[in-house]
Amino acid sequence: MSEKITLEQKVLSRNDLLAADLRRLFASEKVAIMNMVSSPGSGKTSLLEKTLGSLSQNLSIGVIEGDIQTDNDAVRIAKTGVPVHQIQTGGACHLEAEMVRKALSHFRLEELDLLIIENVGNLVCPSAFDLGEGLRVVVISTTEGDDKPLKYPAMFRSAHVMVINKIDLLPYTDFDVQKVVRNAMSLNPEIHILKTSCRTGEGLDEWSGFVMEFVQSNNE
Amino acid sequence: MHELSIAIEILDIVEREAAKHGAAVVRRVNLRVGDLSGVETESLAFSFDAVKGEKDLTRDTILSILRLPVKIHCIPCDGEFKGAGHMVVCPQCEGLDTQLLQGEELEIEDIEID
Repeated sequence: MSEKITLEQKVLSRNDLLAADLRRLFASEKVAIMNMVSSPGSGKTSLLEKTLGSLSQNLSIGVIEGDIQTDNDAVRIAKTGVPVHQIQTGGACHLEAEMVRKALSHFRLEELDLLIIENVGNLVCPSAFDLGEGLRVVVISTTEGDDKPLKYPAMFRSAHVMVINKIDLLPYTDFDVQKVVRNAMSLNPEIHILKTSCRTGEGLDEWSGFVMEFVQSNNE
Repeated sequence: MHELSIAIEILDIVEREAAKHGAAVVRRVNLRVGDLSGVETESLAFSFDAVKGEKDLTRDTILSILRLPVKIHCIPCDGEFKGAGHMVVCPQCEGLDTQLLQGEELEIEDIEID
């Protein structure tokens, strides 16, 4: 005779618990955490280089790079002079809270104002793994489909901000900005939307200002 | 493929609970998966079969997955609606002033053991 054991337990509760621990640690060290997600090639690393260029004079920033293989992105970030640690997931398509916890030994948390995590380029899996971040930024570029939010709803629902990157390429694509905004808002009415071009610099001041505001509100 | 991580996590939870209750065999795991959870059901079932291994405890365990459609509450209409696909737009007023009632679940409801 079988016995039924009621659990009603979230499957990712271990990751969620660990993320909650990290969040407490970050709060006590007064570090703001930003998790950047996107599909591969949306320009996350370029946007990050620009962000570091304008913010690292006023803020102490650290960067965790997540990739399946190579430390190419970390090498790029290191050139900006900001401390960076590369996590190579060795096949896993997302970062988990445990990987972030281990990476923290490479930083002096008490000296940081902002820790930026660049997640593995993937719009599906990273959405399910809380890393203890205060701000989740999804980057979408104008060379992708404007229906991306509808195709990857979990990611766009969980993000606080959507950055539409490569805005300079709009004349050469069929990407409809109004449509992508409508699609994202239909899933996540609260989502904040910014437009940037790392090539022309359009929107970068607004983006940096937004990140600065996030860091300041985190310290209040 | 985060379904593999999820499958491993499910197996961990199940083994822990089974040990707690002195189970010899886990017959079935009943899982609830919302349409907004981002989980691919077929891939999860495949991953679970791949990781459950040859241990007597879980060799024949069936992973039973209940998909939960998106359900929203529209505040201005004061009504409960089924979301159209993945959307949280009210189908009546087409407004966005809605609350999600169901759709983001990824949880083990219960396990059946011997």
